[in-house]
Amino acid sequence: MSDVNVLVLTGYGLNCDHETAYAFELAGARAVRVHINSLIDGSANLDNFQILVFIGGFGWGDDHGAGVIQAVRMKTNIGRQLIEFVDKGNLVLGICNGFQALVNLGLLPGLTPNDHRRSVALTFNDCGNFRDQWVTLKVNPASACIFTRGIELAELPVRHGEGKFFADEAMLVELRRNNQVAIQYALPSGEPANGRFPFNPNGSVDDIAGICDATGRIFGLMPHPEGYNHPTNHPDWTRRKEIDRRRGVSRQRDFPVGVRILQNGVEYVRC
Amino acid sequence: MMPNRLEIALKESLLDAEGEGICQKAKNYFGLQLASVRTINVVTIDAGLSDEMLQAVRTEIFTNPVTQISSYTPLDIEFDWCIWVGFRPGVRDNPGSTAVEAIEDLLGFKFGADQAVYTSKRYCIKGKELNAADLDKIAAELLANNIIQQWKIFSGRQWDPAEGIGYILPKVILDHVPTVTTIPVDSDLSLKKISDERNLALNPNDIATIRAYFQDAVTRSARAQVGLGDPTDVELEYISQARSDHCNHNTFRGRYRYHDLATGETEIIDNLFKTCIQAPTLALKAKKPWVISVLWDNAGAGRFDRDHHYVITGETHNSPSNMEAYGGAITGIVGVYRDPLGTGKGSKLVMGSYGYCVAPRDYEGDLKPHLHPRRLLDGVIEGVRDGGNKSGIPTTFGQVLFHPGYLGKCLVFVTAVGIMPAQVNGLPAEDKRTSAGELVIMCGGRVGKDGIHGVTASSEVFSEHTPAGHVQIGDPYTQKKMHDFLLEARDEGLIKFITDNGGGGLSSSVGESALFSNGCHIELEKVPLKYEGLDQWEIWISESQERMTVAIHPDDRNRFFELSRKHAVESTVIGHYTDSGKLHISYTGKTCAFVDLDLLESGFPQWEFEAEWISPEQRGLYEPVLNAPRDYTTLLKDLLGRPNICSTEWITRQYDHEVQGTSVIKPLVGIERDVDSDAAVIRPVLDSDKGLAFAQALLPAYSAIDAFHMSACSIDEAVRRLIAVGTDLDHIGGVDNFCWPSIQYDSIHNPDGKFKAAQLVRACRALRDLCLSYEIPLLSGKDSMYVDGNLAGRFGETHKVSALETLQFSAISVIEDINRCVSMDAKIPGDLLYIVGTTRNELGGSEYYEHLGYIGRNVPQVRPADFIPLYQKMRQAVNRELVASAHGIYRGGLAVHLALVAMGGNLGLKVDLARVPVDQVERNDLLLFSESAGRFIVTVNPAHREAFEDIFKGSDCANVGTVTEQPELFVRGLEQSTILAVPVEDLKTAWQKTFGDLI
Repeated sequence: MSDVNVLVLTGYGLNCDHETAYAFELAGARAVRVHINSLIDGSANLDNFQILVFIGGFGWGDDHGAGVIQAVRMKTNIGRQLIEFVDKGNLVLGICNGFQALVNLGLLPGLTPNDHRRSVALTFNDCGNFRDQWVTLKVNPASACIFTRGIELAELPVRHGEGKFFADEAMLVELRRNNQVAIQYALPSGEPANGRFPFNPNGSVDDIAGICDATGRIFGLMPHPEGYNHPTNHPDWTRRKEIDRRRGVSRQRDFPVGVRILQNGVEYVRC
Repeated sequence: MMPNRLEIALKESLLDAEGEGICQKAKNYFGLQLASVRTINVVTIDAGLSDEMLQAVRTEIFTNPVTQISSYTPLDIEFDWCIWVGFRPGVRDNPGSTAVEAIEDLLGFKFGADQAVYTSKRYCIKGKELNAADLDKIAAELLANNIIQQWKIFSGRQWDPAEGIGYILPKVILDHVPTVTTIPVDSDLSLKKISDERNLALNPNDIATIRAYFQDAVTRSARAQVGLGDPTDVELEYISQARSDHCNHNTFRGRYRYHDLATGETEIIDNLFKTCIQAPTLALKAKKPWVISVLWDNAGAGRFDRDHHYVITGETHNSPSNMEAYGGAITGIVGVYRDPLGTGKGSKLVMGSYGYCVAPRDYEGDLKPHLHPRRLLDGVIEGVRDGGNKSGIPTTFGQVLFHPGYLGKCLVFVTAVGIMPAQVNGLPAEDKRTSAGELVIMCGGRVGKDGIHGVTASSEVFSEHTPAGHVQIGDPYTQKKMHDFLLEARDEGLIKFITDNGGGGLSSSVGESALFSNGCHIELEKVPLKYEGLDQWEIWISESQERMTVAIHPDDRNRFFELSRKHAVESTVIGHYTDSGKLHISYTGKTCAFVDLDLLESGFPQWEFEAEWISPEQRGLYEPVLNAPRDYTTLLKDLLGRPNICSTEWITRQYDHEVQGTSVIKPLVGIERDVDSDAAVIRPVLDSDKGLAFAQALLPAYSAIDAFHMSACSIDEAVRRLIAVGTDLDHIGGVDNFCWPSIQYDSIHNPDGKFKAAQLVRACRALRDLCLSYEIPLLSGKDSMYVDGNLAGRFGETHKVSALETLQFSAISVIEDINRCVSMDAKIPGDLLYIVGTTRNELGGSEYYEHLGYIGRNVPQVRPADFIPLYQKMRQAVNRELVASAHGIYRGGLAVHLALVAMGGNLGLKVDLARVPVDQVERNDLLLFSESAGRFIVTVNPAHREAFEDIFKGSDCANVGTVTEQPELFVRGLEQSTILAVPVEDLKTAWQKTFGDLI
């Protein structure tokens, strides 16, 4: 029985609950899938958890803007508890649809504590369509983000139609100044994508793929860490396996980077 | 009370991707130059909200302060022309209903029956040269489909900035008192007449049986006791649904008189289903313990591991997609996902796939289909995209096939795979039954007029008279909530029986489930409706989507409804099961149906067909007289660019193929992740390294010669695709989906009906033979007949267009260790290149012949006795990890697939054709483009040479060359002269350019 408890929000068309819970268990936590309504009616209690995950999917079918209606429902019914949960120093992770929800809840970008304005957005991909592909991500070493600690480059899948990060110039200056831009889309070499499609798959300004709040404890990203929970999730695994075997290297045993991102959160809570 | 109309648009500084897309399509499709298009979302709220409420919903829900502007007065956005597009009354408006949820949440009140939210769109179009006719084209052929949508066009001058589009509320007002009509059955003629008038589509042969039942003295006296005499419309509609070809598969259960013109012999085949599908499958079930459940439930089940079973089924949704591509396709994929959910006590969906057969995207002929193939394909792609992605189910495999025959009716295949625990509460999860006293519950969506007579319409040839009423728009959101709810209820042991409401609606789901308890009593007035005014028969057979029928024990009622509320799913008790032997339906206490459940089992006449086989020789087919070409480079590039071979990455990328975190072999593989893999592999149980491999094949081109070989080759290709990724031949399950033109002979309307019937018989025999020799039990299967259309020509005449006889074959298998799977791309320079299997002079129906304008006669043949040992050796080699890459040789032949293997690795291949195993093939072109079955291209680490060649000792497998660092496809011909030396990059350009501009 682990000492770190993770609450994975489910219901209303969200759909990455099983693999997100599984990946957190791999990372050493105890993960529970909880329906949004169980949190609202009090049958589940945030006090028993240290990490709250807003998962990917299509909450309310993404109608009227991805993550919008989930944000409305949670703000209206349990907005207070969410703020308290954050203020206690707990962690919040938003993946894809969850990132969109955090942005609409105003938990991100959270330039200062208690600043919960909707001031950045995730909007329709420039390519005009939903897109499933793997991306290379460059981590900002100066960022306070808990989840990206000790990681330089990461390859993860993106699967969205509304992932274009957008904010006005003033806000972007702030985000850069506070090192809240935690991860950016990059070329396979690690060089900035500079908006080049498909390396930057959606036209995000500044290649922004994920941001954290000022404390680094709230993290939202469009790519799916839980989508890389096993070596065979990686598009190149059959090729890498063949190359490794010729070199006499045995099969990859350590966790894929997707799990390591979650592990950072679990270890932060532990110490 | 005036409704309120909110207009929302992206800020001008942001790129309007939707608008951009419309400009692109207007240019590409119609050659129209639009300067710009800006889209405005219109939300019309008909709920009498106060001003501050309106402001609250505007800022909190409908407007993103960072990206959007909005106003309750028309937005002042410049345009030369403006098109408004909204739904017709009664068409499913998904964003409209989620808007209601959001407003109720925010304001904390419930909408009344007369309150609603309607969404629509306004397109602000700039373009100086545009005229009214152009705008009609854009509206009717790009933005809207008159079957489900209405539109208005405004010029800049007509536009009243204060009035805007006005207020259009697509509210359904029926103003009709539900009535049960009694139908006299005095004569066959009058019943036939009523059947036609009411679009009952009763089969003429059935009418006598139906009359006999209702005139039987015993029946009449029993009916008299419940106040019934002649049959009611509820009863006749119920019988019509149950007897339709779609539900009852009368064609496959028919009696065929098969006459072979060549041999002069005639034989009788009594029931294709029993002889070619049921019998072999039961025989195999007896010898294969992994087969768990077949031939009765919504999907078939096989063992995955000690604790799990997988389930699989495949469907088609052709007629609706042909009318409304997006709506038909999304309804199709969301609908097939209810089958595993309704299999056993319920299964979790883990994978889906698609297959589209349409006319050429660039069709410019004189025939006028309801939707142009290009637009139809766009709509179908988007429908399956939204249906699959929003259900949270990975779409891991798919195929698209172009042929003019599908101009009459397109084909949309959708396949679903699920997984269930082996046991629920210590009982087998695959078993289910209903018992007297249990409650009949309807879960999910509400009932409206949608889909009424959908089943009977899909059992008819499409014509301009086909009722459009059966076109619907699926709602994956509502269904996903229901899916999560029902699986939680299953795990608590609350579900005794579950099945979905598809074709026939309640009439089939309740009818079928009541067979177990042998009776039911349904109180129709309890069924929740979308709007008032439906007749009883409409409630009973409506095909409104996203509904499941569930049986629970009365003691579990409270817990079941507690879970239903938690998941925000509507569930209603609509009656209870009995053991009375009767289907008893009442409405507000008055009986409107009282039928013996066994009526449908009882003596309806079997359908009969004349089948006449004319051999290819007798039809005058012959091999073309060709000399070998000289310019193989251009020829190969041409073939790679052909629509049925070229890259369709633009489709694959729109589908989430990785959600659930189970992806092992993706639909696109290779160093640049852009070449199609042979099969998909997933890891459905996250903490296990076992996998499910899945693949499909479609080869209708061979039907132009002989549907027997079409069927056999499709099965072999699907199997080889699985073998290529590392599957064991000992466990392969199959799904057969037949799509056939009408086979009922009519000297005027279907003069070649007897031949098409013979083709069906032959295809079914190949299915039987191959399944027995490859030992593939058919876990599931469906048939969709009447793939014909009557299309208007340029002089107002109409033409009947029939599709090629088509079988989509799906194969699934369990992989013991996913870490041993291989992909098709060449991996490392210096690796040895092998060809497994024999190439024969089998180019009949090939891409090569098609490209040169021929059909030919030597259609590829499947030789199980030769192939099976090779497949077992392939399995051994892969399992011992001796193989670096493996790829089957399919459409297009050796040259095309060598090119794909090279592209996958962005490496070169050096090939010596003289070393390729052949059987009497003495010409380079025949060798390069033959489509002989049973072949693979394999690359092997030189270090494993001996071990690999040991396995294949004495069989048709030869080292024909090597993988090279320099990315060039280099082929030395039979005469040892170089016939190909092309940079792989050029080949890929040719392969990608056909649809290259699409994203």
